[in-house]
Amino acid sequence: MKKFLPWIGLLSRLILGGVLLAAGLLKYQHLDKSQMAVRAYEMLPIALANFLGIILPFLEIAVGVLLVIGAAVRISAIVGGVLMGAFMIGIAQAWARGLSIDCGCFGGGGQVEPGTANYLPELLRDGGLALLAIYLFRYPQSKFGLDRHKTDGDQSNG
Amino acid sequence: MANQKPGKDNFTRNLVIAVVVGVVLIMLVPTLLSKQTNTSAKIPASVSAERGYGIVFNDELKGVPLIEIYEDFQCPVCAQFEKLQGDYIESLISAKKATVVYHTLSFLGPESINAANAAACSADEGKFLGYHRALYANQPAENTGVWSNDVLGILGQAAGITSKSFTSCVNNMNYKGWVSNAAAAGAKANVNSTPTVFINGKEIDRKTEYFNADKFKAAVERG
Repeated sequence: MKKFLPWIGLLSRLILGGVLLAAGLLKYQHLDKSQMAVRAYEMLPIALANFLGIILPFLEIAVGVLLVIGAAVRISAIVGGVLMGAFMIGIAQAWARGLSIDCGCFGGGGQVEPGTANYLPELLRDGGLALLAIYLFRYPQSKFGLDRHKTDGDQSNG
Repeated sequence: MANQKPGKDNFTRNLVIAVVVGVVLIMLVPTLLSKQTNTSAKIPASVSAERGYGIVFNDELKGVPLIEIYEDFQCPVCAQFEKLQGDYIESLISAKKATVVYHTLSFLGPESINAANAAACSADEGKFLGYHRALYANQPAENTGVWSNDVLGILGQAAGITSKSFTSCVNNMNYKGWVSNAAAAGAKANVNSTPTVFINGKEIDRKTEYFNADKFKAAVERG
């Protein structure tokens, strides 16, 4: 079993990192829309939401790149996991309050026609990605990464 | 990995991390700065910075409803809104029965920025309302490359704008800074979809009042 762990790690890194990188790049192309997406959750003061709408794509790109190339995997996994947790809280509260918004997960965002929002698949997807982040935090060793690991495999300097 | 020399391996890894984080930070700073309101940006005729860099009609009237419209020229729902309510809003302007502020947002992409800039140029010619109408009447699908500055310049003819100053204003993107200021003001006003209409500072009911001529009229008269 132990010898498969690095391969599972590689797969987790590529999926979580790839999704974050794609999401960040798509948001980066339309930063006005990204700010709008964060505002539409109605959780933060407007100024803070606008600031976060600019910062978020950059954070996603950085963490995504680090995960894909396998550098600082453990820290990146923590940040990725916290992001997924925050997204899930945001989507869940929007659902519970009956807001009609586009999650803005991969660009887009803002209000949508009442009744067209579909929150469950988004929550499940982010939940799955959060599990990958937890896995990478627990077992950060993986194939083709830049991080160096002690031979017992359980410790990491990431 | 484990059989590589530790020193070398860590150096490469740390270098890569530093480069990734560094590049992202270097990209972030100018982006943040570009979102700041540039108070020295050139503004077109009849624009008021106090009114969120909107294009204002009948600013001087007192005791009439204040209608603020946030729109993006590429947004299809905005074109529907214009088709249904445009004549009525223009009649309010010409009859001096309301103060109307057009906020031209540009979050749908580069052609929205081109169109907003061109609309500002038309305001300088005193033909904003006609050009506004012409843009929606000729709205292409989003970001298909149709609304180049050349096309937007020619479209001026549909609004009776023939001057050279208009085409050069459109081609030189004279009001690019203003377009970005208007977008930032829309973000501050918490506008999360287009069109968004505020009457006397309050958004009208999204479910019923946007696309029903009678209800919209009632909302304006209610004030």
